[in-house]
Order: sequence, then C-alpha cells, then structure tokens
Amino acid sequence: MSFDINSLFKKDWFGLLIVVIVGSAVIAISRPAFISAFNLYVLMLSVSLMLVVAMSQMIIIAIGQMNLSVGAIGGLVAISFTGLMEVYSMPVGLALFIGLLIGLACGFLNGFITVKTGISAFIITLATLYIFKGMNLGITEAQPFYNIPESVKFFGNAKVIGPIPFLIIVPIIITVLMWFLMNRTQIGRYMLAYGNSVQSSELIGISSTKIVITAHVISGLLAAIAGMLVVCRLQLGTPNIGDSWLLPSFAAPVIGGAILAGGKVDVIATALGVIIVAIISQALVIYKIDPFFVQIFLGFMILFAVFINRYREYKEETRKKVFTHEK
Amino acid sequence: MTNFCLEIKKASKSFPGVKALNNASFALKKGSIHALLGENGAGKSTLIKIITGVYRQDSGSLIINNSEIKLNSPSDASRAGISVVHQERNLIRRFSVGENLMLNNLPKNRFGLIDYEKVYLKSQKWLDMMNLDIDPKSIVSELTVAKMQLCEIAKALSLQSNILLLDEPTSSLSPKEADNLFLLLKKIVKEQGLSIVFVSHKLEEVFQICDEVTVLRDGENSCTSENILNLDRQKLVKLMIGRDEQIIKPPIKSKEHMNEILKLVNIETELGHRNINLALKKGEILGLYGLVGAGRTELAKCLIGAEKIVAGSIMLNQKVISIDSPKTALEKFNIGYISEDRKREGLILMHNVLDNAGITIWSQIRSYLSYLDDKLVNEKVDPFLKQLEVKTPSNFQIVSNLSGGNQQKISVAKWLAAGTDILIIDEPTVGIDIKTKSYLHELIINLANKGTSIILISSDMPEMISLSDRIIVMKNFQIKGEKENNHNYGSMSSSIMEYIHD
Repeated sequence: MSFDINSLFKKDWFGLLIVVIVGSAVIAISRPAFISAFNLYVLMLSVSLMLVVAMSQMIIIAIGQMNLSVGAIGGLVAISFTGLMEVYSMPVGLALFIGLLIGLACGFLNGFITVKTGISAFIITLATLYIFKGMNLGITEAQPFYNIPESVKFFGNAKVIGPIPFLIIVPIIITVLMWFLMNRTQIGRYMLAYGNSVQSSELIGISSTKIVITAHVISGLLAAIAGMLVVCRLQLGTPNIGDSWLLPSFAAPVIGGAILAGGKVDVIATALGVIIVAIISQALVIYKIDPFFVQIFLGFMILFAVFINRYREYKEETRKKVFTHEK
Repeated sequence: MTNFCLEIKKASKSFPGVKALNNASFALKKGSIHALLGENGAGKSTLIKIITGVYRQDSGSLIINNSEIKLNSPSDASRAGISVVHQERNLIRRFSVGENLMLNNLPKNRFGLIDYEKVYLKSQKWLDMMNLDIDPKSIVSELTVAKMQLCEIAKALSLQSNILLLDEPTSSLSPKEADNLFLLLKKIVKEQGLSIVFVSHKLEEVFQICDEVTVLRDGENSCTSENILNLDRQKLVKLMIGRDEQIIKPPIKSKEHMNEILKLVNIETELGHRNINLALKKGEILGLYGLVGAGRTELAKCLIGAEKIVAGSIMLNQKVISIDSPKTALEKFNIGYISEDRKREGLILMHNVLDNAGITIWSQIRSYLSYLDDKLVNEKVDPFLKQLEVKTPSNFQIVSNLSGGNQQKISVAKWLAAGTDILIIDEPTVGIDIKTKSYLHELIINLANKGTSIILISSDMPEMISLSDRIIVMKNFQIKGEKENNHNYGSMSSSIMEYIHD
C-alpha cells in the first residue's frame, strides 16, 4: 500500500478529523475542564447514542431515501423492552431479542411498503412515524416504566476503564460492522449503486426490492438498538424516547458529506460528524454560552458542510462539461 | 437446428396511439456482426428493448439458441447470455472503474467480503484486452465521456455473454478510438465466437464492420439479414428513408424579399457551440437537422436564455439584444420554445389542461394582486385547444391522463396562445401517430404563412424536407452546411447525408 497524502485530503473524513483534533485541542487549552474525566464520560455517552441513531439514518440516505420514523421505532422498542421486563417479568435476553424483532418488523414494513408502492419513503415513514408513536402511547398511556433489572442499569452506568463508559462498546462494534457493510460487502455496495442510480442498478440486475427492504430492516434494527441503549442509560423506559432524534440523525451524515439524493455516505465521516456535534454542544456549555446558540451553531455547521459538498460537485461538473465537447 | 443464436419472428408491439413494431423479424447468425438500422421512430429501439427484456412483444416470438424464451426483465436477458451497452451511460459514477466492471460478479475472500485486490486485478485483464489505458482504481466520474463509453463496452465483455448488443457505441468516440474498437470487436468475434448486434447512425461504420444488415422502417422490415456485400450506401439510405408518400408539399413561397428577423453572429456558448452563424427570415421555417447529440436542442436553449452564450451576438430586427432568461425571451422579445421533452420540460403533467395551455399568458392577463381568473384564461386558450382538436373531457382534466398526441397538442397550444413572433419547435412529432403528425405539420406551415418565424428541430428527415424552407445541418455543436429546400426528397436527403457523414 502506497501512502498518498493527496488522496487523504480527498477523503470526506480527513477534514473532519482535523476539525475534531484542532477543535478539541483549542477548547482543552482554554478550558481544561473540557478534558476532565467527568466531561469526557458525558461526551462519550452522548456520542454513543447518537452514533447508532446516525447510522440508522445513514443507511437509508445511502439508498437515496429518508427514514422519518427512526425515533418512533426507537421509542416503541424502548418501551416494549422495558414493558416486557416490568409487566411480564421477562428475562433481559428475551426482552432484548423481542425488541430487536420489533425493530426489524418496523423496518421491514417501511421498506416493503416503499418499494411495493413506489411512493417516496419520506411519505411512507411519515405515516409509520405516527403509527409507531401512536402504538407507543397506547401501550404506555404516556406513563414511564421504572422497574429495570439491575443488570441493565449496571450496563448503562459501568465504565470500562477511566472515563470510558461500558455503553460505548455497542456503538463501536456497530460502526465497525457498518464500515464493512458499506465498503466490503456486496449488499452494501449494491445499496450505494442503487442510491447512485436506480435505473442503472436495475439494468445491472440488482433487485430493488431486496436492496430497499434490507436497508430499511437494518435501519429499524439500529433504531431498536439505540432505543434500548437509551433505556440502559436512563434506567427507565419513557414514552418520549426517540422524540428528539430526527434532525440530529440527518445532521451527522450530512456533516459527514453524505448526499441526500443517495449513493454517497461515509461511515467514518458520519461518526466524526456525531463527535463534532457532541463537542460543539459540550463546548458551548463549558463556555457558558446560552443553549440556543447550540442550535444556531449547528445550523451554520450543516450549511457549511453542504456548501463544501456542493462546491466539490460543481467543480467536478464544470470539469466534465469541458471534457464532453473538447473535440 | 439453425446457426442463429438470436431470432425474432414476426414481433409486434403497440403503444397507445402508435404501432411501434409490426411483424418485424430479425435473425442473428452465430459469430457475426449484424447491423440494425432505421430512422428515429422506425421501431429500432422498441426492438432493442424487446431483446433486452425491457418490453414484452404483443405477438411474435423471441428465440435464443433455438429455444423460445420469455424475457421479463433486463436480468433475465443477461442470464440468457445477452449483454447490452446502452446509449445512455449506465456506470455507477461514484464507484471505481474496476468495481463497475466486476459489479455483477464481485470477487470475495473467505469471509464473504469483497476482495478489492482481486477486483482490480481481474478488471485490469479486461481493460488490457481493450487496450484501455485506465487505472481500474480511478473513479468513473473523473473519466472523459469517451473513456466511460469504452469502460461500458469492457464491462459488457467481462460478462462473457455470447450476444452483445451495442447501441450507438461510437457516439462519443473519436474516429481513431472508433477504429480501435472495431478492430477489437472483430478480433473478439473471431476468437470467441461472440455475436454482435450493432446499432448505429453512421453508415460508414456499418460498411466497415458488419456482415449482415436488417433495416426497419415504420415498424416493419424493409430488409432482413441482407448480406452487406449486396448493398451500397445509396441502397441503404433508400431502405431506411424511402418513403415519399408522407411528404406534404407546401406551396413554395418566395421568401427572398422577406426581412431577416433574427440573426446569430459568431455565437459561442458555454455548452461548446462554436462559430454559429444563421439568419431567420420573417415567416420562414428554418430546419435544423442533425443526429442526436449534434447540439441543436442545446443551441435552442442558449437562444432562449436557458443556457449561457459566451461570445458573438444575437440580432433581433437589426438590433443587438441580450437574452438572459426564458422569461425575457418570451415577454420582451416574443421568442418561444416548444420542448422535445414534453414530459419533463414542456408540460406540468400533474396540472390540468387549462393551466398548462395558459401558463405562457399568465403574466399578460393577471390582474390586481396577481389574481388569475380561470374564466379569462379559458377564453384566451380555448380557441387554440379547439383549433388543435385536443381531445379532453374538459379543460380541467389532468394532463398526465391524456394520450401522447394530445399532450403534444397542448404544449403547442400554449405557445400559440402566447402568440410569439419566433417559435422554436423541437422534435414536434416524436412518438406521435401518423394522423396527428400530419395535422401538426399543417399547423406549422399555417403558422409560418401567417408570419411567425419558425426554427424547426427534427431528426425526422421526411418531416424536415416537407416542412422547411431552408435546412441547416449541425454536427458536433457546429454548423456543417446549409441548403435551400427544393422539396425533392431524393436530392435533399442525399445532400444532407453528405454533410453528416463527411
């Protein structure tokens, strides 16, 4: 393997990595509290949860669609998971398994309806968002479940070593698996091909049904995992878990260079996008800046990321135009 | 047993309003290169789509390797050993060349993960075979169009199918690249017993590499599996376009004394046009002929301000003008454009007839606070819809529910309503049945007689020759020649062909 510094600069994640390193360094120097054990612990916890949520959205962006029901699936699974343990005294393992099944079923439903009707996933998942959320509220009657087994509580609060939470193991494994899925497996590459051009990939013989359903099933599973991680963290299952996920789920992949039209996502850059969002939120707390600035800042961050993407595409396109007619 | 690897017997296919294929037959011999020719609209692409599993024939049979077969999808076709290089690019733009080549058959390691070392190694083999100097690791979107096209052919070869269908494979290649490609195709056919269906507009290429020729005209065979040695260029052209009966001869009116209304002087555009000079007289129909990709539609778009002109000047009634947007073209200079792509550009399919036909006059008749009165719009537009005999239950019908011919009439009606001085009409009769076609032809002639100056873009030679007063031939974003139309089909078509094929 030859090392080429230029190709490094072309990668979406490289610039973000620099931002993370330089940003952290600047904040740490001016406010040493930023790298206190407690602060790092909180930072890692928030990264853990959002990482899984972002991956759940990213895989749908990869095929050129959107999943508005990510949070609703997470919420439904979270209360199902806790409800099964509290009301039916189910063992953790079984409740976890059923939680995953629910996520899978929700994702399957999204994918199946989308691909069979040909209606945009935006609309379909908008509808299922209400359905899943309604089921959630119907089951819980808007009351939280409090009786969480000790093992779950322990998992949510234990530390591996120093400030590193136990919880982060799951998102790290998921991120690694997602990287292999999108970069090294046939189904993952086919998803990206499908996102690039539905027409071309169908002519190649890629099955739309298989691709769309698989992507939504994985998205549903990840949303389910995220929901259950929140339960571990909060030590209770409240019906409003997942309500605030939607916009951040898009923010991280977009900051990571994903194109909403599909065909381009970067797992590492998405993970760095999550980290950047978390660092910004933390930094503004540490600098004692009003919380609403977090939102304003995040908004500008997304605009900035999108402009950079657009600029790159534009440069490529103008170059192409020149090539096309040079004769 | 025959030695045909692909046969189509008496296939017919209809679309609403058009019979695209009528008992058309085709037979491909093993190890031969077979040209499939025909004008635009002759049924060629329908036949191709039947072979590639995109369409199913209404009647007739498809026989591959002596057994009848039904193809329900493109992947069925590729399983049956047919691979296609389509006219439109079908590579995954953000993937590497190597991955694109191997996409149907990605090599994997023992963990089931894609082995990119092998992807690049294997794809290199096919690139080498085609003498392509492309790094398999390079990203497709960074290649030139010519290289993309060659990659597509490499990809089709890599599938190792026994029937290869090439649809206009040289449209973006230089003559030298095309020659190399032909040498290679001949070599592959000889060494691997591959059979090729070759579709091209360039007749010299057909004579260069094909063994047999099948020509379609109006959905029927005008020749089937004719040996190339029995044909020459003249005969072939005649087989393709030899239909005189459809030509309506308009009275040849003298337009010598007419004033020049529009003049383009040394126009260069951002899209790549160079040295475009042309003049349009009042009440004249000026034909712009050329093959797909010659830059005619693009020139029209620059003219109405949808794309940028970078040098030269446009003169309207002897005054230099600048057109910065289609809105200026229409409202200030009275220049309109009827798009070839009525589905995407010409009409808003989800809107009703009235809104579509009236959109060009909204700005003229809107009242206080931009209020639009449907009744007023209807008064203005309805006469034109009636005149064009648009068949619709009401003017409030959604356009997408109407037939192609009616849709085209509406997109014409909207420009009639606008009452422009200059009208650019782009491929007015593509996909339209014969009756509506001649109706639209009469309409265009009438418009011109009433004083509208018309630039007619068409790839339909008989249409061009029956309608135009003068014909300009374009190729590669340049004007190749100009000819006063004498409405004599034989002499006009051959001199136009000269300009294109020189």
